[in-house]
Amino acid sequence: MSVITRLKFEGISKEFPAVRALCDVSFSVGAGEIHGLLGENGAGKSTLLRILSGVYRPTAGSVLIDGRPVTLNNPVAARAAGVAMIHQELQQVPHLSVAQNMFLGHPLTRGGIFVARREQERRAAEALAAIDPTIDPAAPLGSLKVAQRQIVEIARALLDRARIVAMDEPTSSLTPSEFSRLAEVIAGLARDGVAVVYVSHKLDEVFGICQRATIMRDGVVVDCVNLAQVSEKAVVSMMVGRELAQEQHRSHASSEVTLSVRGLASAIKVRDVSFDLHRGEVLGVAGLVGSGRTELLRLLAGADRASSGAIEIDGKAIKLSSPRDAIAAGIGLVPEERKREGIVPLRSISSNMALASMGVFAPRGVIDHARLKRVAAEKMKRVNLRPFLLDRPIRLFSGGNQQKAIIGRWLAAGTRILLFDEPTRGIDVGAKAEIYRLIEELAAEGHSVIVVSSELPEVIRLADRVLVMRDGTVAAELGRADLSEQAIAAHAIPQTEAKAGTARHAGV
Amino acid sequence: MTDVTEHTAARPKADFLHRFSVRDAGTLIGLVVILAVFGALVPGFFAERNLINILQQSSINACLALGMTLVIISGGIDLSVGPTAALSAVISASMLVAGVPFPLAIAAGFAIGLVCGLLNGVLVAYVGLQPFIVTLGTLSTYRALALIYTGGNPVLGLPAGFRAIFNGSLFGLPLAVVIVAVVALVAWITLKKTPFGEYLLAVGGNEEAAYIAGVPIARTKIAAYMISGLLAALAAQILIGRLGAAEPILGNLWELDAIAAAAIGGASLMGGKGSVVGTILGAVILGTMRNGLTLMNVQSFYQLLATGLIILAAMLIDRVTRGRG
Repeated sequence: MSVITRLKFEGISKEFPAVRALCDVSFSVGAGEIHGLLGENGAGKSTLLRILSGVYRPTAGSVLIDGRPVTLNNPVAARAAGVAMIHQELQQVPHLSVAQNMFLGHPLTRGGIFVARREQERRAAEALAAIDPTIDPAAPLGSLKVAQRQIVEIARALLDRARIVAMDEPTSSLTPSEFSRLAEVIAGLARDGVAVVYVSHKLDEVFGICQRATIMRDGVVVDCVNLAQVSEKAVVSMMVGRELAQEQHRSHASSEVTLSVRGLASAIKVRDVSFDLHRGEVLGVAGLVGSGRTELLRLLAGADRASSGAIEIDGKAIKLSSPRDAIAAGIGLVPEERKREGIVPLRSISSNMALASMGVFAPRGVIDHARLKRVAAEKMKRVNLRPFLLDRPIRLFSGGNQQKAIIGRWLAAGTRILLFDEPTRGIDVGAKAEIYRLIEELAAEGHSVIVVSSELPEVIRLADRVLVMRDGTVAAELGRADLSEQAIAAHAIPQTEAKAGTARHAGV
Repeated sequence: MTDVTEHTAARPKADFLHRFSVRDAGTLIGLVVILAVFGALVPGFFAERNLINILQQSSINACLALGMTLVIISGGIDLSVGPTAALSAVISASMLVAGVPFPLAIAAGFAIGLVCGLLNGVLVAYVGLQPFIVTLGTLSTYRALALIYTGGNPVLGLPAGFRAIFNGSLFGLPLAVVIVAVVALVAWITLKKTPFGEYLLAVGGNEEAAYIAGVPIARTKIAAYMISGLLAALAAQILIGRLGAAEPILGNLWELDAIAAAAIGGASLMGGKGSVVGTILGAVILGTMRNGLTLMNVQSFYQLLATGLIILAAMLIDRVTRGRG
């Protein structure tokens, strides 16, 4: 494929006091290649990227750039060696300008004292011109959209004349047209001979833009595959180490309406949303990022206030002015941003679980710890928490297990209507299947579920019925029979964007 | 994780140790070391009278620091405890001098503390101002009110009966020490065993998540500031009982000692973390340092230096051992 090997990992091992994170990892990436790096959380991808970007030092093995071993003792050294790292959670300073961010840590100066602002902005504009000339280098970075910030990071890599660009989950919050734009930019980097290491959970993306991929599991390289010659399914089983059963969709919806929403609107985004949710039903909500899906869920969870509209539960009109009201009415939200809105990181699994139902555990004002322990054990067994350590701070658990604990929180609170916002964001493939199974079981037990998701296969896998949102309102309602990625995309994408974005990436 | 079953099986045995957290054990070791050093250097340091002295000298700071701990856990800070105490002191004192019955005068002092805390809490929780700024503002405001109310003069001549209450002793311990011990016990139960305690830890640990989980954010924060105000008022009563007079400038810089005790005890100024046991130990550490150094005739400048170094050392140890408690 490519003639020159730009980046080579040779027998990299990394050991931490109690864990071996990487064991004898070797693979290489050619100049001009976009190389996928796949694996579940904890497979060692992040550790490897941290070694590449100089944050960690390997216990054994070496990194070769253009055939020469390099010492990457710290991020500055890595940068000097031509490595640019684009993080999942962008590491930028929102109050500073685009140009200031691009020169962060090594500003251009006049005489070594004053920052040459103009010169920085000119150089930044030059770098941006090649990829997105609409970005103003003098604008505060915080005023940019996430996709544009992503572009700024890439422009920064161009500015540094990076020969290797490593991207960690760069598309987790991009719209389809933004993704296709980013894909073009990445392809442009590759044409200039940059070696790109692309880490993503989204297999369709990796298959779309990468030529080859290295698959890791438990700190070792399982295989290095040519993506043109393998199926997604084969890759998944390599990542997980077993065959994931492709379960068939089964509906448990009854005709009984539990939640009825009429003409719901908010000051922020949602307008005139009406639908019914049935007992045992899994209702999918699809749509682009920014179409009002998250805002709709927040209204239903009482986290934001509606400006108009009516909500009924079991035929009784209710008013939701805080999450407490919603919880009392039997509604619970499993939020998208688990770290920010879901977990209390320092507290134990039990405490996190009990938070929404303190009244139950402390009927006379003092917490009945024996009872709490019993319920926690029961609920966490139910959601299959692993490892099963209820007193351990939740921050030490994987994303998937944190998610299970949050689901357990609502089970303990006796919630009947569960709202999931991107239930598997940042969760690895194995845990994903567990969360799906759990959602289905909850529906089978008679819970009503709403699932907002950007991943169309996820919506199609789970939903009995799908609402497609566009511009804050329901653009279409699709029954199980009409459900396809194409159908959802056709309704989700405003007509002007329909040409730019492909249906394949409609949910991204 | 193959050792899951072993882990759970081993739990009950380690229950006591488990409750006494690693961080608190660290603070206790610190206290023991400091006691040992003074014991070796100062003759008569371990005399019962001196040990009781240390507890008595630590009691007022401990009282404030308990309230401060709750506020810090909630993700806030209360810089206004000294002036709150002063305001409460001068109002109680002037009522006592005017012949108002003791319980009423004391209750009025407590009410002042609660109102001061309520104002702090409302400004933080409902108006959404930053706790540091709010209580910096009320620090000046409450102090000014105390000064204006008294014209800057101390209120002298408190009735002997009132003084006797707070100078009495119970089980051989000064009443002040007993009172603060009871307060500490109540605070410990509150933090460990009540929904309010869980809410404090959740609000300080991740306010957004706590909100989604239905925690009453505003009520929790306001309650923390009101408790802090109430305990400042309690400290004021103890102090004026001991001195027999109330000065409007009483409690100057108390907030710093209280924050120091809480921090030494493991409270994180980021919120979401803190320990009642730790805070009490922290207050006793600071009291022991002062007592020991005074007995050694160390100049007050050096006492200040020692206090500063102890705080920094505690924070450094905290940093190095983080993630194990």
